[in-house]
Amino acid sequence: MKRSIFMLATALSLTLGAAGAQAAVSPLDLVAPIAQYKVYVTKELDAFVAATKDFTDAVKAGDLAKAKALYAASRAHYERIEPIAELFSDLDGAIDSRADDHAKKEKDPTFTGYHRIEYGLFVTNSTDGLAPFADKLMTDVNDLQARVKGLTFPPEKVVGGAAALLEEVAATKISGEEDRYSHTDLMDFQANIDGAQEVYTLFKPLLAKDAKNEAFLKKVDANFASVDAILVKYKTADGFESYDKLSKKDRKALAGPVNTLAEDLSKMRGLLGLK
Amino acid sequence: MTSHPSSPHSTSSLDRRSLLKGFGALGGAAAGMLGTAAVARADDISSPVTTAQESSRTAERVDFYGVHQSGIVTPRPATGMVVAFDVLATTRPELERLFRTLTERIAFLMQGGTPPRLDPKLPPADSGILGPVVVPDNLTVTVSVGASLFDERFGLAPKKPRHLTAMEQFPNDALDPDLCHGDLLLQFSSNTADTNIHALRDIVKNLPDLLLVRWKQEGSVPLIPARPGAKAESARNFLGFRDGSANPDSADTALMERIVWVKAGDEPHWAANGSYQVVRIIRNFVERWDRTPLLEQEEIFGRKKASGAPFGGHTEQDVPNYAADPKGRQTRLDAHIRLANPRTSATQANLILRRPFNYSNGISKSGQLEMGLLFIAYQADLEKGFITVQKRLNGEPLEEYIKPIGGGYFFALPGVSGPSDFLASALLAPGEPT
Repeated sequence: MKRSIFMLATALSLTLGAAGAQAAVSPLDLVAPIAQYKVYVTKELDAFVAATKDFTDAVKAGDLAKAKALYAASRAHYERIEPIAELFSDLDGAIDSRADDHAKKEKDPTFTGYHRIEYGLFVTNSTDGLAPFADKLMTDVNDLQARVKGLTFPPEKVVGGAAALLEEVAATKISGEEDRYSHTDLMDFQANIDGAQEVYTLFKPLLAKDAKNEAFLKKVDANFASVDAILVKYKTADGFESYDKLSKKDRKALAGPVNTLAEDLSKMRGLLGLK
Repeated sequence: MTSHPSSPHSTSSLDRRSLLKGFGALGGAAAGMLGTAAVARADDISSPVTTAQESSRTAERVDFYGVHQSGIVTPRPATGMVVAFDVLATTRPELERLFRTLTERIAFLMQGGTPPRLDPKLPPADSGILGPVVVPDNLTVTVSVGASLFDERFGLAPKKPRHLTAMEQFPNDALDPDLCHGDLLLQFSSNTADTNIHALRDIVKNLPDLLLVRWKQEGSVPLIPARPGAKAESARNFLGFRDGSANPDSADTALMERIVWVKAGDEPHWAANGSYQVVRIIRNFVERWDRTPLLEQEEIFGRKKASGAPFGGHTEQDVPNYAADPKGRQTRLDAHIRLANPRTSATQANLILRRPFNYSNGISKSGQLEMGLLFIAYQADLEKGFITVQKRLNGEPLEEYIKPIGGGYFFALPGVSGPSDFLASALLAPGEPT
């Protein structure tokens, strides 16, 4: 039994990397990266409002082709800052819920937002009847921007956001169920990864102060690089290939680094001394 | 694992002794209560409905180390689960890290113990679903590999066991690709479903970069009240018949050497002491079966439903005399047990060791019950074993009530000899002759 526990300890020190170590990070050290993150979120939100304006205008003008073309890129801004956007669960539901979240699925009157419009554009193949959804979406997105402006960013939500984004990818992006009507999942996929990488990059210097975190950081860097290297193969001039084009082999190859990033990034809060 | 070929049942008294020592007073107290527990519980209405079930068996332990892997000839506990994986490793060193980590995790999980307590600001090392101390609870985790592991990725093609292929589609099969095959398969079995799930979650958490779950099926076997002095009975499947009456005796070491374990000369050298494993998810159409006359059910199986006895016999252990019944007047020529095991000297070469569980998975789109048999079988020669038996069964009347929907052919690795060894070490050894 002693031997097993010893072996376990060895295994854990290998798999957990620096997790056992307590980084000497003071709360003050967190102020600068959180402020920088707020700048990032603000910029993304500004872009999100502008892109949603163009998108909803196209929907209301009945320009089906333009609305379809703008769909994926406009919502990518939201996917990058989801850990913050999700703090307002009423708006998150109104802007980004999927048909599964509603009892009557696509027919449910409470099903609104990006995916409701996606359903109209890509399944019904028409902008008919979408104008009220477009108006509501614009209102909700403006509301989100206003609410985030007044928000004090909770450090554990910011740092934990990196892991939360990876959980999102692992749970719904790998399967291709997020953008099931347009198959533009890879755009969301990349946006989630970008958002997680942003958080990670801002806090990496703090983690790097402790030499014990070296292996951890190296592993996280390598896994981000693996994901990016696969996604880049599917980039096109104006976005990404349809999710159906993703080969089974690449789908599996993405799952490894994504699940490992989810495991590793889940330790970031603790490594930074946050609850 | 069975380190001593003379005592294949590893939960021996020796193990119990060492385990009582390990668990100290707790284990002793639990064992002492055993006699009265069943009686006391029947009319004990004082405990709240959510009180945990008490078990005196959570300290039961099966040896991990040995010539053979455990979970094959070791006694089948009440619950089982098979989980197939895609291997995400892309290089030989990564593959070796996968098997070394699996070895470490399984050795710990089967042994039991206290997981390390990490800083509470970090995610805990263990899921905690068994509490702060992981009990062995009779857990075995048996590791096998599929034909796809021997593709171009790792240069293992020359080492592939001779008969290992992707499972073929038999005439009555309706195989769902999402429930078939895999690079690696883990068979968990223990006293409690939660113990299997705990072990699976430990492995998934520790190997996110090397393993991806492909499909999974849980199962269980019914418990029969102990009757002192009575002969052991076979468990019943979801068709209500005893399953395993004619199974070879897994305690008979010589028999197991012949039927189950691969010998050095027949296969690539590394494969000695491994075994071919067949897993089949066989759905039973139970509503329809329950509307079938008892006599017809019994004729289809070739056994009496209540006792399990063959026609002309009294107990399930009785051996049918087909030689005296060449026209099938007593036991139909196409009865399940007669086709599966015709009991001629020639068909002795086709014996296999079955270790199945019953499964139940919710309902079909038509509102019918999705349940059946999680068939698991081991043999030294896949071709002479399961494949030959299944070919004899093709077209049997039972097919009207069953539909195989998933599974695969795998090769259960040889055992791990001791703490310095690891699973698949011989397969991955560079100088290993094929």
